[in-house]
Amino acid sequence: MATDPTMLNLNEYLTAMLSLPGIPGNEAPVRDMLARVWSPFVDEVSSSRLGSLHAIKHGGGAEPRRRVMVTAHMDGVGMMVTEIIDGFIRFTDVGSLDARVLPGQEVTVHGRRDVPGVIVDPGERLLPADLDGRAAPMRYLFIDTGLTPDALTAAVQVGDPISYALQPLALDGDWLLGHTLDNRASLAAISICLEQLRDVPHDWDVWCVATVQEETTHAGAMTSAYTIQPDMAIVLDVTYGRTGENHDPSTFPLGEGPTLGIGPNIHPVLHQRFKRLAGDLEIPYQIEVLPGNSLTDAHALQVVAGGIPCMVIGIPLLNMHTPVEVAAVKDIQQTGYLVARWIEALGKNIVEPLLAEEPA
Amino acid sequence: MTIVDSLNGDTVENIKGLLRELVQIPAPAGHEGRVRQAIQEIITPHVDSIKVDALGNLIARKGRKAADGRHILLSAHMDEIGVIATHIDANGFVRFTSVGALFLRYLPGGHVRFLDGARGLVGVNIEPGQTKFPSMEQMFLDVGASNRQDCPVQVGDLAVFDRPMLEIGNRVVGKSLDNRTGVAVLIEVIRSLGESPHTFTFVFSVQEELSRQGAMTAAFASDAEMAIAVDVTTSGDTPQAARMAVSLGGGPAIKVRDQGMIADARIVRWMADSAEQAGIPHQYEVLELGTTDAQMIQVAREGIPSGCLSIPLRYLHSPAEMVDLNDLAQTYALLTRLLTGKAAF
Repeated sequence: MATDPTMLNLNEYLTAMLSLPGIPGNEAPVRDMLARVWSPFVDEVSSSRLGSLHAIKHGGGAEPRRRVMVTAHMDGVGMMVTEIIDGFIRFTDVGSLDARVLPGQEVTVHGRRDVPGVIVDPGERLLPADLDGRAAPMRYLFIDTGLTPDALTAAVQVGDPISYALQPLALDGDWLLGHTLDNRASLAAISICLEQLRDVPHDWDVWCVATVQEETTHAGAMTSAYTIQPDMAIVLDVTYGRTGENHDPSTFPLGEGPTLGIGPNIHPVLHQRFKRLAGDLEIPYQIEVLPGNSLTDAHALQVVAGGIPCMVIGIPLLNMHTPVEVAAVKDIQQTGYLVARWIEALGKNIVEPLLAEEPA
Repeated sequence: MTIVDSLNGDTVENIKGLLRELVQIPAPAGHEGRVRQAIQEIITPHVDSIKVDALGNLIARKGRKAADGRHILLSAHMDEIGVIATHIDANGFVRFTSVGALFLRYLPGGHVRFLDGARGLVGVNIEPGQTKFPSMEQMFLDVGASNRQDCPVQVGDLAVFDRPMLEIGNRVVGKSLDNRTGVAVLIEVIRSLGESPHTFTFVFSVQEELSRQGAMTAAFASDAEMAIAVDVTTSGDTPQAARMAVSLGGGPAIKVRDQGMIADARIVRWMADSAEQAGIPHQYEVLELGTTDAQMIQVAREGIPSGCLSIPLRYLHSPAEMVDLNDLAQTYALLTRLLTGKAAF
């Protein structure tokens, strides 16, 4: 943490956040940290019934004030104990994991106490012959904690959460590596946005929301949106980064700015206005086509109550849902900056006519 | 198993009696009226108010909230899986499709009963040399008709499995134990409920086997602060079963997670602590296929923190589902303790 609580040292802050567990349904450690970090920048902090964090910064506009919900999920993919056999743990994923990257990973099993362990592939000789050398599906993998069967059953039970234990790492080129950059990168962007908005007048009320359970059911986003009934929601989430050889148009190079989503979950007018604002401010951006379900909280949030116009902004991320997710710090900063300028402009001249305009 | 002995000795008999009555009432999803009437007659004297909502849920209120009390919603679905006639051919055979998740392997040779009383059996055509299990298109219902005109069944008619309930030792076998066991346990809890600081909404819900539409709307209409679904779960204790750490006779399964939801961690702890304090055997459930009413209740309006108490059950969605009477009694004991003690939060 920076010594001045109102000044963020992004790398330090993100590193601290990336070291916290927070699989869906067990987000308390992240929520507590975010409440501490966001409190100095906002007027009120509270939790939803399901555990999403609501941080409210009042606007200066006339009552009844419009509300913008700026949201990023705070859960991250993880695992859960399904069975304990002879001193070993069988597990399943919470959120979707690729079993191919799991063998050899260090994990923490959050039992009666935190128990360190490593994911083990039983080896080709002990796997069904018809796998024919292919990666073992998750049901064949197990976690070895080194504990005796009795000690293990005393410390761990079916249903206990399991998280990646790999420590975050600052890479050269201002890139950061860590296991839950999906979606802690976006939470950091919201933090930057709040810092940017300090002492900046804005008309609308700003509800910054760190949602629970995005990776499973979007339960946090849909229930918080019902409480807040915002006039507009800006969903921040990560998107697929581009690796060297891969030129798939649904991937985006790191360090070239956030992506502005366009597709049925996104209000087309919001997309146009964001694009114009980013251009005016000379913030680099990329256009991300999200046909159908955007696989973000916007999918659930859009249809809450009477419907909520949504925008989706993506931060390119490599190796999604693995313990070695990588994002560019610059993309995170620019995302926070862009959202802050958007909020500042709300109700002035950029967006006021927006809600009167009909979607295409 | 000590708790069962210390219970009122009639509890198991009461629950068994309820099951005998409820299992025989056909109530495929969307057509729950008859079982609802039976439940309503039984519980009306034991609740403060009772009504049927627009979708057919039976919703009862009971109790007045004390200072440290909560408003708790309990939901047990009363519908069951079934079949629906889609076509009657010239020879009076009925083609059908499923209402809810039917497993084809349980169908051939089975008996079905239509809501109006018509009976039939599931016949099957197998191609010469066919080694694959027959598809639903290869199956039909024979209702004893020899042509379309005489057929007692019309397109759109619904039927359910038709099987008498069977007692084997301490276990009960029957159709629709998913979820008449949950219904029977909840009824017995309501009938015997003592002093409580809480106020309750009891929902006997419709259409759980489709998309949990009943729970969704009942929860939206309530202002409950927390919720518990009472339903069944599959077990992993039969030969070559899929990996799952739930066994018949091991006591109620406290749901941690299923395919549709993650149970609220505070409610999981509340259930586990209460069971431990009372010496009630219990298990933890991580179910990878299937979900319950709690999925929809959890995300109603501003969110209602939810959990689920599951009764272990073998041969789910077959005409011969099996439960252990001890599990029913222990589920009753734990539920009663939860509803009369201090709430999760």
